[in-house]
Amino acid sequence: MADTSDGASTPEDQIRALYGRAETEAAAALEKAISTPSFGRLLALGAENAAALTRIGWDLADLLLRNLRLAGRADITRLARQLNRTEDKLERVLQELEQLRDELARERAEAP
Amino acid sequence: MSAVDRLRRAPTAGLEFTNIVLTTDDAVTGATPREVVWTHRKTTLYRYRSSERSHAVPILLVFALINRPEIFDLRPGGSFVEYLLGEGFDVFLVDWGVPDEEDAEMGIEDYVCDELDWAVRETLRASGAEELTLMGWCIGATLCAMYCGLDRGDAPTSVRNLVLLTMPVVGRGSTYAAWVGDPDFDTEWVAEQWRVLPGRGVDFANKLLKPVTNFWTTYRKLAEGVLDGTARPEAYQPMAKWVADNPPFPGRAWSQWIRWMYQDDALPEGRVRLRGHIVDLRRIDQNLLVVTAGADHIAPRAGTMPIFDLVASEDVTHFDRPGGHIGLMAGSAARKQIWPEMSAWLAERSER
Repeated sequence: MADTSDGASTPEDQIRALYGRAETEAAAALEKAISTPSFGRLLALGAENAAALTRIGWDLADLLLRNLRLAGRADITRLARQLNRTEDKLERVLQELEQLRDELARERAEAP
Repeated sequence: MSAVDRLRRAPTAGLEFTNIVLTTDDAVTGATPREVVWTHRKTTLYRYRSSERSHAVPILLVFALINRPEIFDLRPGGSFVEYLLGEGFDVFLVDWGVPDEEDAEMGIEDYVCDELDWAVRETLRASGAEELTLMGWCIGATLCAMYCGLDRGDAPTSVRNLVLLTMPVVGRGSTYAAWVGDPDFDTEWVAEQWRVLPGRGVDFANKLLKPVTNFWTTYRKLAEGVLDGTARPEAYQPMAKWVADNPPFPGRAWSQWIRWMYQDDALPEGRVRLRGHIVDLRRIDQNLLVVTAGADHIAPRAGTMPIFDLVASEDVTHFDRPGGHIGLMAGSAARKQIWPEMSAWLAERSER
């Protein structure tokens, strides 16, 4: 069989070449489609809706747990935030301490 | 291989393909031995074990907030960390961890002014060095640039060398900007609702930039490789595992990132303020290496180039190489191409 313009020589190669071209063209077309502002708007609206629905879902779940007198996600998050604040303070105290220790060591080294 | 042979091999190849996909999570990543130097909240600073340190200036690696930093140490034999250790560098890595709802209020200023600043401090303490090399990749590179461009009055920074890998500086004109650049898109409201942006969502958006390639061609090529007997699961699986491992993005940091990068163009124009201090990229005066990738669709080269018109560095080097956003540094060719070039650049600037 004569070679095609793609260099494919067997029917299988021709099918592969055709498929490859179709995939490349589909990829380019889709990439063009997704980079349009209208697709962006669609995506942004979708993200906003998903965010709102998720929030409503979590709030409902937390309400249910709280009424059952169980710790919900919001309670655990609040506790974790308190822990974060404590860790921040500890870190700053530790840094001050290290700085003072370094200064003391320098002064001792400089002392006659 | 003839059509009959392929047909005969198809059932086995099908099972093999399924096995590769299903066992991807078992792939070994981040295997280089390391020690924890410092932790704060979710952030951890690691130091990699080495007995071959010969350069005086340690390297601190910083990755993005949307993927795990294991990309620096992807797999044995294909690890940038392993390579740097072999070249005699003292390597540290800052891992932002996996944020959760309690970290929703973490903003870019917390990452730059606290976490990164303290990681630099701890790196210097642990290594005993007075200066270091800061190497950031993707958003991590932007955080590093912000750190070096932050107005600190007369206080000098301890960064001698700054290496920025595939860094977004200007987001306008990118596909991301077409999606979220509309000022009507209220990032703060979205961040408030999500608290932390789900990693899967961010990953989905990234993959949507090249939908056919990411959702179809990758698997089609793997299947063909399996059928032909040329598939390399040892290379495919660690990368696929890393790609699918997406930590959540703290809402506040995400909102700031979208606004500054894609809605306001605030960074190159010097309008980013972190805790009241202006980030001005013109303050960057370190030895600077910028690496861009020709086929980068996440941080296109055109969005990185403005950095050269801004910085005050006298020693500026630009490596522009073929490859993608991640593939350039973590692909199979990196070990022979970009890594030796970077190592040579670093070695010249890492002596006392």
